[in-house]
Amino acid sequence: MQDNMKKQEPLIKIENLVKYFDVGNGKKLHAVDGINLDIMPNETVGLVGESGCGKSTVGNVVIRLLEATGGHVYFDGTDVVNANKKQMKEIRKKMQIVFQDPYASLNPRESVETILKDPYQIHKIAKGQELKDRVAEMAATVGLEPYVLEKFPHELDGGKRQLTGIARALALDPKFIICDEPVSALDVSVQATIINLLIDMQQKRGLSYLFISHDLSVVRHISNRVAVMYLGQIVELAETDEIFSNTLHPYSIALLSAVPRVDFSNKNKRIVLEGDVPSPVDPAPGCRFAPRCFMTKDICHAENPELREVCPGHCVRCHCWEESQQKAADYQGK
Amino acid sequence: MIVDKQENTLDITRNSEELLKIENLSVEYRASGAVAKAVNGMNLTIHQGEALGIVGESGAGKTTTALSIMNLLPDRVGFVTSGEIYFHGKPMSSMKEKELNEIRGKNISMVFANPLTALNPLYTVGHQIAMSIIEHENISKNEAEKRAEKLLEMVGIAPYRAKNFPHEFSGGMRQRVGIAAALACSPELLLADEPTTALDVTIQAQILELMKNLQKEYSTALVMITHNLGIIAELCQTVAVMYGGRVVEYGSVEEVFTNPKHFYTYGLLHAIPNLSGPRNRLESIPGLVANAQNLPDGCKFHPRCAHCTERCKKEEPLLMKVSENHYAACWEMEG
Repeated sequence: MQDNMKKQEPLIKIENLVKYFDVGNGKKLHAVDGINLDIMPNETVGLVGESGCGKSTVGNVVIRLLEATGGHVYFDGTDVVNANKKQMKEIRKKMQIVFQDPYASLNPRESVETILKDPYQIHKIAKGQELKDRVAEMAATVGLEPYVLEKFPHELDGGKRQLTGIARALALDPKFIICDEPVSALDVSVQATIINLLIDMQQKRGLSYLFISHDLSVVRHISNRVAVMYLGQIVELAETDEIFSNTLHPYSIALLSAVPRVDFSNKNKRIVLEGDVPSPVDPAPGCRFAPRCFMTKDICHAENPELREVCPGHCVRCHCWEESQQKAADYQGK
Repeated sequence: MIVDKQENTLDITRNSEELLKIENLSVEYRASGAVAKAVNGMNLTIHQGEALGIVGESGAGKTTTALSIMNLLPDRVGFVTSGEIYFHGKPMSSMKEKELNEIRGKNISMVFANPLTALNPLYTVGHQIAMSIIEHENISKNEAEKRAEKLLEMVGIAPYRAKNFPHEFSGGMRQRVGIAAALACSPELLLADEPTTALDVTIQAQILELMKNLQKEYSTALVMITHNLGIIAELCQTVAVMYGGRVVEYGSVEEVFTNPKHFYTYGLLHAIPNLSGPRNRLESIPGLVANAQNLPDGCKFHPRCAHCTERCKKEEPLLMKVSENHYAACWEMEG
């Protein structure tokens, strides 16, 4: 399957994407700073990082809820960043987004049925009885019982609200869905339902996902490839099993070791990073992770490393990646 | 900073004295005619120096239990309908407000989920910590402020920042301030209600290491309330799994998590994806968390349980002994 993927053209091609926010006094917040990422048809790419690293901004710029400062996003060959209104309407049929907080992303004054009718009406796809049937069918597909259609968002629990959000995203049979922390606000038992649904839908419909999350175990579960972000840049990118078994960037190593686990055989010691994530406003030259890194050299403070492919399919942005695992092991062994 | 991940023993609970005992506690919330039974016949004992985890999904009654211990239930809405909480063997319901105020903040203190709302935005953090010391101890303002600076240093914040206001700190640092304030009078019992839920994992790791070290150093008893099973596995010796307002499984963390006897605990453990091993399909628990306004008869979990029998629908199981360190409330445990 992996060989097939390589021969295919990517569905989404993100090229040197940049998004700066003006924060006054001529200062710029570098939310997204030169992201390159391809997403293949039927592939899930996980995007992980801590709050403020720019992962949600990537999602919002890709679907153009925010305008990019620079760079390109190609969807099936069309440049989303420079598309006109008419092109955009077509693209949005094929590209959808599911948000973290389903309560904030559903209109509180519309019933679930009205919410689910919207996509068909906006794109003039169905009306009358056919519209009603398609809404009912869509609700059934995601596992919403018929009675839910008459309810309003506030009458539903978090899980059903998120199912409504997913049904709405799936309505127009898109090829690509951005999932922005879709399960973070949900209880674990409900979270499993949503994750299973997303995986089933992908298998049935050949969807691609950009799965944005801070939860490493959820990302590992659902993704084919994983990109780790730190302060607006991708610091490591590889296939899921590779990145979790052969982690190379010191930040990814620390992030992975920081997750508390129910695993009594795991006696590894934890790397605790000192301090907080620095401000993304006008970042200093040098590696962005250097101020918190446990293995910095002089070059790390002077020059920001490039994202390099160090073994097939595994890219790392670090000057010292060759020593990182040994250093981490020494550090943990202390 | 590097610290061991696991040091679980139950010896600590066997040998040490009972600190807090919750007996048959029931709590209701009443508002505009509706009644929500948040806690229903809860029993739990916390020993000196013990780190106990309370785990469950939202609405299980975890926070309500903690608020009842602190007597902080919302006025005219939250009511303790039955049961008693004993602190050092003394029933807390018989205590006067003055006596409770003595205990709160001094003997028992609490760390809240959202550190920004738990701190007063109008006072510097140093002043806030000093206030709680002055309240409980007979020392001068100057000395109290010095102690506040020491406490901040202990949780990894530079002492000069005592003059800063809460909004000048990041989320992780605010939570450290919250912990410093809670530890101000060296409490015997620290209640931590989802203290890291609002924080990033690397910051969460800092806070967890801090709590682990403090607990070891000062042998403070800790009640860790969280929905994150991993945090409990790493921080606690004993765990109480809550569902529908009562404890459905209790025991040593390792025993309960590796050999769960209640189907709810089993379901929780299998609903979370792993960071290692094969990526199997997740087993979701069907249905919804029990509704406190309309609790089912019998076992509160029976409508969602795949192993439900007629008995489960009618009779509510009590905690039964599985082994020395393990109790579960389920009729079908053997199966």
